[in-house]
Amino acid sequence: MPGSEARHYSEEELLMHLLQEESPEVGENIAGHVRECGECHAVLREYELVVARILRWGLDDFPAEAWDADRVRLLEQYRHDRSWLERRGLLQTLIRGLEAAWSYALENPLPTLGYIVVAIAFASERTITFLRLDRVVPATSEVIEIIRQFF
Amino acid sequence: MTSPLSDEDLVEGTLGGDEDAFSQLYERYRQPVYATAYRIIQSAEDARDATQEIFVKLYRSLRSWNPRKASFSTWTYRLASNHAIDCWRARKRRHENLDAEDTGEKAEREYAFGDAIRSPYREVAGREQIDAVRRCVDLLPALQKKVFILRYFQEMKLDEIAEMENCSLGTVKTSLFRATHAVRRALRKARN
Repeated sequence: MPGSEARHYSEEELLMHLLQEESPEVGENIAGHVRECGECHAVLREYELVVARILRWGLDDFPAEAWDADRVRLLEQYRHDRSWLERRGLLQTLIRGLEAAWSYALENPLPTLGYIVVAIAFASERTITFLRLDRVVPATSEVIEIIRQFF
Repeated sequence: MTSPLSDEDLVEGTLGGDEDAFSQLYERYRQPVYATAYRIIQSAEDARDATQEIFVKLYRSLRSWNPRKASFSTWTYRLASNHAIDCWRARKRRHENLDAEDTGEKAEREYAFGDAIRSPYREVAGREQIDAVRRCVDLLPALQKKVFILRYFQEMKLDEIAEMENCSLGTVKTSLFRATHAVRRALRKARN
């Protein structure tokens, strides 16, 4: 920067100086200049007054009870959302599990086929037992005997 | 005496379903969030509603907060100021429609409401100047309004605001200067 006589500082630079939003080096230069330059000093002084007036803008606030009531409502909403998020979390876990299984199946088709056969056999056996279908459907040993007689 | 929990601890608790942690976050940030919303929207009732909505948004998007990118307060002010700007736009649109129908009744309502709540600033001398500041800020473009309010009333540094708004420090400085300059003009006009 300009030495104290070289040029006047812009209003933006002076405002940033007032708000201490410039580097220390620039700040020192501006402070030095303002001490000697009446014009820049006047501008800086006016911005000081403007900022002071801005900071007098207060709040229309509500009584504490109003905010307490809002907090209660907010916490109710939070509780409600939490339970919904938890349900959604379970569903997302299930979807992620299915996606992982599908990727595994594509990469390892034969073992997957084996797992599927075992799962189907297990499920069939459980279904037959549970529904007492063993009375109607022949037992495995009987099926093997029939096949052996056939061949 | 135990030291107060950090924002990070409270965020972690809130994410884990700890109501008390969320309640503490609310207590800690309710006032600055309301103050930001109030000065942007310039209606106490609407700012109160906006504060409630901001806190709902806050816990719903809490997982997106990255402590390495911004402090929790910066992240919260960003959320608050963006939401308040949306509310201010909606309010403006609403009022443009209403103005055509009825101006007198609206002014009466606002006045009655103003008396019903605590208004410490009303007693301070220079109310006209404060009204001039308010009217001027209401007319500022969104970015200037945000920078103005966050810098003067939340005492955020301009580089923080620049990071928050994802724009250059120069842009933020210019925005703040233009906003302050506009207020300066408005104050001069009010004085004359």
